[in-house]
Amino acid sequence: MIIGGLLIAGALGAALRAGVDMVIQRRMGSDFPLGILVVNLSGSLVLGVLVGSAAHNGLSPFWLTIAGTGLLGAYTTFSTFTFDVVSLMENGEWGASAMNTLLSLGAGLGAAAAGLALGSLM
Amino acid sequence: MGRARAAAGGRRAERGLRLCAVALGGALGTLARYAVSRALAGDGLGFPWPTFVVNVAGSLLLGLSITVLVERWPPTRFLRALVAVGFCGGFTTFSTMVVEAAQRGQHGRAGLAVLYLAVSLIAGLLAAAAGIGLARGRLLPRGERRSIPDPDDFGRVGGHTAPDPTIPRSGRAAADRPGTEQAAP
Repeated sequence: MIIGGLLIAGALGAALRAGVDMVIQRRMGSDFPLGILVVNLSGSLVLGVLVGSAAHNGLSPFWLTIAGTGLLGAYTTFSTFTFDVVSLMENGEWGASAMNTLLSLGAGLGAAAAGLALGSLM
Repeated sequence: MGRARAAAGGRRAERGLRLCAVALGGALGTLARYAVSRALAGDGLGFPWPTFVVNVAGSLLLGLSITVLVERWPPTRFLRALVAVGFCGGFTTFSTMVVEAAQRGQHGRAGLAVLYLAVSLIAGLLAAAAGIGLARGRLLPRGERRSIPDPDDFGRVGGHTAPDPTIPRSGRAAADRPGTEQAAP
């Protein structure tokens, strides 16, 4: 049951990431990986809300695993982030590389904390 | 006009198939991540080893697979979508990492939260760089370098990264295999 749910949620999350990334990146005139940044920040906020609300009430552990581990876990990605940072460095785009790193981690942590706070109010 | 429309339809169909490859890879990557999280089940609010392990391993695998697929193998239609965007993207996770860090921060373990993010970042970057280097220098014979400009591909993963082929990559790799260096411009 949980395996089937995770397979479906993981498939949806990864496809959603590819779609969002493609749409954003097409409108970008540069190499800056804004698409993955938007994906990671939005996913972190929503996962924070889910985890925050699950701690107080609402979401059952089963649905938290499907939506959190499955959907949002697959929607957001760490490997593409590290790869982008390394390839920006390789291309000599140190500023963009540093900005992507700081924005991802700083704003990602902020989004997660905001989500947790928001979720605990629900 | 009819031909142009048919070509556009073909591109759409191909994009749809790529999206299916991403979804399939994402499903398998998610399942693999879940298996690791069950196997390395953490202790409450300690160091989140499962997420750390999948993120570092996935960064290595993505650097390796992208570099092999973009620079070494003949052009493929779906492998990058399946393996890199789908599997590696679905195997690793960003949201779980920052939520775990935020939770530790909220429970008075801010030091651990910062350590976790810093170690994940450094290990992840080193792993990605190691994967790229492994694919270029050690695993495979040096072949023709090329980039695949493919605006229809999902994600820019690998699309903008192929380095300038006129710049020798590393003296060591070139020296190891005399006769295969790129011609100087």
